[in-house]
Amino acid sequence: MTESTVPVPGNRHGPRFGLRALAAVWIGKCAASALRLLGREGTHVPGRIALWVCPGLLGCIARPDTVIVVTGTNGKTTTTNLLADALGAIGLRVSSNRAGSNLRDGIVATLISGVSLTGRCRNDVAVLEMDERSALRVLPQLAPDIVVCTNLTRDSIKRNAHPEFIAWVLSSALSPTTTLVLNSDDLIAASLGSDSNVRVFYGVDPTGDESREPSGSAVDASICPRCDEPLEWLFWRFNHIGRVRCRACGFTSPKPDIRVSPIDSTTGLRSLVINSESVSVRLANESVVNVYNVAAVAATLDVLNIAPKTIGSVVGSLTPPPSRFADETVGGVRLVRLLTKGLVGVAVSRAFAHILSVPGRKVVLLAVDETTDRFDGVENTAWTYDADYEYLADPSISAIYVGGVRRHDQALRLAMAGVDPTRIVLDESETRGADLVPLEGVDAIFNLHSNHNAVVTGDVVHGKLRTRLMEKNS
Amino acid sequence: MTLTIEMLFPEIANLYGDNANIDFLARCLPQARIARTGLNETPEFASGKVDLVYLGPLTEQGQLRAIKRLLPHRDRINHLIDSGTHFLFTHNAMETLGSRITNAEMNYDEAGVGIFDFSTEVGMFERYTGKVMGTFDGVSQPIVGYKSQFSMVSSSPEIPGFMTTTRGIGRNPTTHVEGVRRHNFIGTSLIGPVLVMNPHLAQWLLSSLVPSPAPEIALKEIAVAAYDARLREFHDDRTWSSFERVSG
Repeated sequence: MTESTVPVPGNRHGPRFGLRALAAVWIGKCAASALRLLGREGTHVPGRIALWVCPGLLGCIARPDTVIVVTGTNGKTTTTNLLADALGAIGLRVSSNRAGSNLRDGIVATLISGVSLTGRCRNDVAVLEMDERSALRVLPQLAPDIVVCTNLTRDSIKRNAHPEFIAWVLSSALSPTTTLVLNSDDLIAASLGSDSNVRVFYGVDPTGDESREPSGSAVDASICPRCDEPLEWLFWRFNHIGRVRCRACGFTSPKPDIRVSPIDSTTGLRSLVINSESVSVRLANESVVNVYNVAAVAATLDVLNIAPKTIGSVVGSLTPPPSRFADETVGGVRLVRLLTKGLVGVAVSRAFAHILSVPGRKVVLLAVDETTDRFDGVENTAWTYDADYEYLADPSISAIYVGGVRRHDQALRLAMAGVDPTRIVLDESETRGADLVPLEGVDAIFNLHSNHNAVVTGDVVHGKLRTRLMEKNS
Repeated sequence: MTLTIEMLFPEIANLYGDNANIDFLARCLPQARIARTGLNETPEFASGKVDLVYLGPLTEQGQLRAIKRLLPHRDRINHLIDSGTHFLFTHNAMETLGSRITNAEMNYDEAGVGIFDFSTEVGMFERYTGKVMGTFDGVSQPIVGYKSQFSMVSSSPEIPGFMTTTRGIGRNPTTHVEGVRRHNFIGTSLIGPVLVMNPHLAQWLLSSLVPSPAPEIALKEIAVAAYDARLREFHDDRTWSSFERVSG
């Protein structure tokens, strides 16, 4: 790498750190203590209060010698946690907003927690997850040394519009001196920054099983950014993740500096290739999404001049945080619970694709309305047509039980996707499907719920199905 | 005779699930030919007979690319509109046919294709999301849909709209006139997708494309059930926020 940002113990203030900033830090710390006494985590409120006292605090609070920001549409919380773990395992003192409070207030609250009452920083490195839309409110003042972008795919239509917009927001906020760690298999994320930025690319090599023809409704990198001609896919994984070239002008996806090879079926190991040096690693979670997260961590460690052998040993020891996913067999039937983020078509498509990857005869319970959106704004259901419901038209899925107020919209979307309407069962209740679903002749039952109804629907449906399956077996 | 629906630039005009408008028409008209014209291809409408020309939502840079490709065909588009060819331009696709698009944050002010005398201002930090309900003279049932956009269109009120809103904003927050209509050209900023969400509008379009015997929309029962449920919700005052009101 051309720029080294090896953390050394010390202290770094931004400009104009004065009494007002110090007062803001004290008040922030008091607020955090008070919230903890009340049994609350206080992950962002202390930051909000401190910013009210000193609006420029983010630019002048003492921060570690190395500040790393992790952003992107998917995987930023996991990557932040993995990177913080890796740096901790190397022996560094790490400050991180692990709880996922990733707006400006949460980032300031994290930095406050990392300084002493005299305003002196106590950590060597900060690993800060940042919501990508907050870039303009965070990056210019925070001036991180490294920005890691995991990927930029479609997200909420209402808030994020489209990935090109998010890429523009991020690029507008980036300093030319920030080192960028980018996913080379995501053409939009890989376009971040300018020629002034040092850019380090990571990727996951193809297995040979991938398609060369993209499919689905959310492929956002179809034309060459130089000449507008259609891109040719060397391999395609999902959305616009894969590698491309343009036959017309020779443009290609960036060559990854850090690569993770496919798994070796005999040893169960992968090769982590860091600037031509290869180390063998065994990963705790082999899902392609996790492999990308690990590759991002390895690339960041490389930017920090950590030796490849150390990187290999550290990333091999990382355990991803528990996912919002459960898969168990009860009474001979596989019971799978999947958080399926309503409003985000790409996330919903991944959940549907997972259902298709599970063998056997399947039944799906679908309750993915994001009704909270209706209470704080407008619930725009256009996202359902940005999600690939076509996966659910597979004949291995014998029935789909749809609950909730949007059941008629869901039924129409399913029918548009080619699901036989006779296989769609509608109910106003989000949980009654768990009482109705037949248990005979079924190999797997999928309980799909969204964020807001994880407890009121996801837990209830899971509990009901579990009880019924156990009773059936007793 | 085979009916031709031309979908312009689907590789870039594919946001917000709006291409389901064409999937729905294809289901309703299984005999129709769907021509997908790429960005660097010459549109079929430029020299041949096309029954419906469709352009869907674009990114901001995509809008500029589309303008560049459509500009050489301005006279042909005008001729086709005046001679009754059907057009459906949804979300910000309609804006490409106006006189200008100004985007201060992205630092451009570009001429549009110039078919319609309206201008568009894009505010990258002022995304508007809201519901819309209104009347369209082709059908008796209200049109429903959503807006989720960075842009607002300004024009003289004399330019006929696609619909008149009864709830929700029109071309901009100061008018009930939404979209644009000239003969069989429909431009609307509504997403949803508008034809899928409005089965009565889809039926009107089918009847207009294939007058006799007019085909019936696909999945009618399910589509009407979804429409009726939404209409009940949209008729409930409690579902409307103050920012969804027309001001001035």
